[in-house]
Amino acid sequence: MTLSFPFDTVLVANRGEIALRILRTVRRLGLKGAIVYHAADKGAPAIAAADIAIEIKGVTPVAAFLDGAQIIAAAKAAGAGAIHPGYGFLSENAGFATMVAAAGIAFVGPLPDAIELMGDKVRARKFVADRGFPVAPSAIEDDDPATFNARARAVGTPLLIKPSAGGGGKGMRIVRDLALLDEEIERARSEGQRYFGDGRLYVERFVENPRHIEVQVMGDAHGNVVHLWERECSVQRRFQKVVEETPSPALTPEQRRDICETAAGIARAAHYRNAGTVEFIYGNGEFFFLEMNTRLQVEHPVTEEITGLDLVEVQLRVAAGEALPLTQGEVPSSGHAIELRIYAESPSRGFVPTTGRLLRLDWPEGPGIRVDAGIAAGQAVTTAFDPMLAKLIVHGATRGEAIARARKALAETVVLGCETNIAFLDRLLADAVFATGEVHTGTLDARPDLAAEPALDEGLRRRLLAAAALSIRPVRDAADRIPALHAAMGGWRN
Amino acid sequence: MRHLFLIDEAEHEAGLAPAGDGLHHLLVGADTLAVALEGTQLVTGGRRDRVHVAVEGNVAHIHLDGRAFRVEFREAMARFAKAGAEGGADTLVAPMPGSVVAVNVEAGANVTAGQIMMVIESMKLETAIKAPRDGIVATTHVAAGKTFNKGAALITLAPIEEA
Repeated sequence: MTLSFPFDTVLVANRGEIALRILRTVRRLGLKGAIVYHAADKGAPAIAAADIAIEIKGVTPVAAFLDGAQIIAAAKAAGAGAIHPGYGFLSENAGFATMVAAAGIAFVGPLPDAIELMGDKVRARKFVADRGFPVAPSAIEDDDPATFNARARAVGTPLLIKPSAGGGGKGMRIVRDLALLDEEIERARSEGQRYFGDGRLYVERFVENPRHIEVQVMGDAHGNVVHLWERECSVQRRFQKVVEETPSPALTPEQRRDICETAAGIARAAHYRNAGTVEFIYGNGEFFFLEMNTRLQVEHPVTEEITGLDLVEVQLRVAAGEALPLTQGEVPSSGHAIELRIYAESPSRGFVPTTGRLLRLDWPEGPGIRVDAGIAAGQAVTTAFDPMLAKLIVHGATRGEAIARARKALAETVVLGCETNIAFLDRLLADAVFATGEVHTGTLDARPDLAAEPALDEGLRRRLLAAAALSIRPVRDAADRIPALHAAMGGWRN
Repeated sequence: MRHLFLIDEAEHEAGLAPAGDGLHHLLVGADTLAVALEGTQLVTGGRRDRVHVAVEGNVAHIHLDGRAFRVEFREAMARFAKAGAEGGADTLVAPMPGSVVAVNVEAGANVTAGQIMMVIESMKLETAIKAPRDGIVATTHVAAGKTFNKGAALITLAPIEEA
């Protein structure tokens, strides 16, 4: 493999753990790493890790990272020949990708037309369905009102009837028996009419207890596309992922091959370049295309753990015009990997974000343990950005070994100064629902007991009071002013 | 003397007394427990536990049994001060942590009830901070682009003058 990149500096248009993770690979490849940063992140490790750091400004910190013109100007000032957008912010913005290319800079991601296609959920779904890939069967009344009931019947059960003008679950009806279909359609129509003044309907297949399974794909400029296996991401709260793993515990080897080959087929049909993720909804042995994310994902490390690939390196090589380093048959799948997202949030208070200054930060170390963090002790956690502090990734020969390793690593993780979900993650991993792999996207909502803080038992309460009393200065000083003899006489209650 | 501690917001009482040779007794309920903190070793009675403590003023952040706790020492004076501060209904405080998107008023400005004085962003949602009554802005406590914690003062209106 040659090491000649057509650029010598890569600008990372992101922050936090992903900026640090991208910079690590950039530097390892002998390239220079530049970064843009907002003053809110002063003291962040990613800024220190970059060769060049350029401050960007905005009305809010997030606004600064959404200002494409400012970022391209920074790339030029840094002499960067490539921009890696990371995830979030401008990573899936076709206009930004176009602006970057027009500035003569390589965008480390797909071509703008692929971003645009997949960014339009209706167009993407039609594109995928037209090429024969599975999308959830559906019927839109407006397409041909005269045949609507027949087309709805063809969707199959269980199905969901929704008002076209609807929202918030109003007027939605689940049908499990086709004998009731016509009558339920009339009921939904009158509800739609009543709630929205519009009786037009839409029917789609209802997936009960759905799982979210996605497939990593990678394409190059020479027409090659490979999949890098799937990731199971069903453990979610507030529609955000909390735990991801690969392989998915739900799939048989045949299903695994099918879903992965389907994803690669979709990417191939879109002439897809660089890293992307095809998301599926999976339930009852069936899977349907949901959407495609045209960027590197937060949870990409689990894929790296089982394939041994550095996805950022492959992204940079593809952006430099190189061919993929391996063929589909050469992609390994070794062992089992789990990622736990460590969030600054309070599980017992509905997972609301928390803030504070990080007074102490100890990450676990050891074989099969990886921590991608972008924050250092002394930094303040604010609500200016996403509440994710770090990702703990473990790899084991088996799923059981990976879970055991994850629990040991969580026990060694110390974050003080800001409430986190670390203890919650351990309760989840210890629970039978996770051990059996029987999770779906509604699991955390169905199990509020996992989010609740266990009550303090008397022993723990006393040990906490002892640790606090011995460490808080005014308490300790007050005690040490009392002569021991006087204390022994029991004169402290006055 | 017993002290008041808050463990994750719930009140608990305990005392600390010297036991000679640099050792201490924890007084909790009717019991006296020999306690010591030696680096990361917490001794309570005959038991030893690994503990991590980070202190910030009167707050000890404690990692014990795989969980992190916030234990606050509440001085007797602070209990009264807090009760007094809560009486000030002229100050609008942040319902949750967030950042300021825009400040639409400045000190001395006349506002009418319902007027949007500030826009904040919390949990990715924008919220308008509206004037609770007609009045005059006394202070804006945070500028656009700045972040704030839950309970932080955002805007104070001048008290209503008795006619």
